[in-house]
Amino acid sequence: MSARDEILGRVRRGLGKGDAAGRRAKAEALLAAPVRGPQPAIGGELVARFVARAESLTSTVSRVAAASEVPASVAAWLAAQGLDSYCVATADVGDLPWSAAGIAAAVRSAQDADMVGITGCYCAIAETGTLILLSGPETPASVSLLPETHVAVVPAERVVATMEDAFALLRSERPGFLPRAVNLVSGPSRTGDIEQTIVLGAHGPCRVHIVIVGDAPAGAR
Amino acid sequence: MSAGGQSQAMFFRARAARQAGDVGLRRTLQKARPLFVGKRAKGIAGLAADGLGFGALRTACADIRRRVVDDLDVWLEIFEERARATGAEVLWARDGAEIRRHVLDIAARHGVTKAVKSKSMLSEEAGLNEALADAGIRPVETDLGEYIVQLAGEAPSHIIAPAVHKTIHEVEALFAAEHGRPLQARSSADIPAMAREAREVLRQHFLSADMGISGANFLIAETGSAALVTNEGNGRMVTTLPSVHVVITGIEKIVPTLEDFASLMRLLPRSATGQTISNYVSLLTGTRGAGDGEGPEKTVFILVDNGRAALAGSDFADMLRCIRCGACMNHCPVYFSLGGHAYGWVYPGPMGSVLTPLYTGIENALDLPHASTGCNQCGVVCPVEIPLPALMHRLREVQVERRLRPLAERLGLGAWGWLARRPTLYRLVVRLAARYLRWLADDSGRIRVFGLAPGWSAGRDLVPPSGPTFLERYAARKKD
Ligand code: SF4
Repeated sequence: MSARDEILGRVRRGLGKGDAAGRRAKAEALLAAPVRGPQPAIGGELVARFVARAESLTSTVSRVAAASEVPASVAAWLAAQGLDSYCVATADVGDLPWSAAGIAAAVRSAQDADMVGITGCYCAIAETGTLILLSGPETPASVSLLPETHVAVVPAERVVATMEDAFALLRSERPGFLPRAVNLVSGPSRTGDIEQTIVLGAHGPCRVHIVIVGDAPAGAR
Repeated sequence: MSAGGQSQAMFFRARAARQAGDVGLRRTLQKARPLFVGKRAKGIAGLAADGLGFGALRTACADIRRRVVDDLDVWLEIFEERARATGAEVLWARDGAEIRRHVLDIAARHGVTKAVKSKSMLSEEAGLNEALADAGIRPVETDLGEYIVQLAGEAPSHIIAPAVHKTIHEVEALFAAEHGRPLQARSSADIPAMAREAREVLRQHFLSADMGISGANFLIAETGSAALVTNEGNGRMVTTLPSVHVVITGIEKIVPTLEDFASLMRLLPRSATGQTISNYVSLLTGTRGAGDGEGPEKTVFILVDNGRAALAGSDFADMLRCIRCGACMNHCPVYFSLGGHAYGWVYPGPMGSVLTPLYTGIENALDLPHASTGCNQCGVVCPVEIPLPALMHRLREVQVERRLRPLAERLGLGAWGWLARRPTLYRLVVRLAARYLRWLADDSGRIRVFGLAPGWSAGRDLVPPSGPTFLERYAARKKD
């Protein structure tokens, strides 16, 4: 007997339930109409909450009114950190006027030597200050992973309250399809494995800087 | 890991005695304990600010896991179908040997010479690293804690903080040797530099590996995905850079929907490290898509039984809900007196005291269900309502039912049972015994050496009973 049949057989014998078809139908029904668990009451303005949470995760945040202002804001931040203006970027933010702000943005996957990676984001979660990044030909996951510094551009109207809201957005905008990787990023990478002392910058970025574009009015979503 | 994932749990007493005598280890553990407890308390308290109650959330999470465990066969079939539909391969493994066989097969087919690993407990259960090394494939653990214990040739001593037992000086010695540099004097201020050094060394391994091996915190039935939770980002590296990704995971890890996953993610990081969310949470589905320039070309799930299927529908089915958060050991007085290595297998602390006997044979880990003070701190903090002390208690009962207890204990309890059923005789014997004990006591009124339990009286004195026996007093009161 195959390992599969043996293991499933063992489980079935243990459960002793029978009626596989009925139970299967019940499970499929659950999948067809997902139910949310207890939901947090995320009061106040979502962007403000997102910013507060992101900062508590030691990300830094700046805000601009329009996408065209992003490159100048990023350039100023990079200069203030003493970081290089040579960056690797994902295609979703590749069209911004980077060179006018003095940033050389190469649109491609990241390599080991890249020091700064700039990405957009699919959406962001106010509850936890989290970015949601989808992998894809235009948005390779390595750009937010290999460089020491990750700069993320977040449209204010893409800030949702909870992880459930983010999944609802995915279902409605990309039905039946998840990309290879949905990465939820909450601040710079960290480790506490040497004497439980927290160090920022384990294998992923040591710095995460978020630029929020636009101003979603309170309760807009 | 000890050779081939072999359990050493039979030697718990000896290992516990050795560990308890290690003053340095105790100091390290005592330093870590309040950190774990304090961080979780703060994380759980934070729920209230969002109007969430721990109790309600925990019941919801336990129910999600119950739903899966109660129809595990159905959920496994659904997950398998949906994962296959995304282009992933799904294999099944009855035990550690079958895990090793699958992984070596895949490695041979893809010409793998180096495998980078993100923490996988199943790989520890299987003793996979030795098998890979024997086949000429270099396994590199990439979680910093796992990397440290791998360099030390040890097993992890904690499921979320594998190197919690190591001091900075021990880590420095390991790094100096492995990284080929002179030993340096180190203080806590150097920890960032040491983490940096490991980052640089491991970065080269990530870039040159041909296979990534990870566990999965959850399998999501709805989407056929693996969910991976890390703080260091090694989980992302391992599943993004190599061209083959192997997910090794227990059959019980399924959650039905993304919504269910979201609920569990409110409790998992808070219970483990007190974080509101871990730095990286990845949902990994299928292989690299059309037009993708990166991501694995091949994704294989290995769904492992290794003792789990036998728990379905049994007295111990509750244990299948475990989400491996580590809260039970973080709140366990026994764990913090001994450290994780005393437990002798992959899983330490209260969850290990239940899992090890169940997965490796009740007769092979007789002491573990007794390694408990019965304080139930573990049961109180467990985010999926696993009644750990009750399960340990049930394991003790099974030991008695299967006549696995030592002969002296069995005879002693048998004699007591015989006596207790004969009240007159019982009263007489108790009265005589009390007198005998009083006679044994020395001038200070204490019994220094008690022949019937020399081990017990080696470290303490026994106070002899005073006055009449309980039954005598009871009888006297009834007359009043
Ligand atoms: S038994 Fe409960 S507390 Fe312990 S690791 Fe599992 S889920 Fe966490």
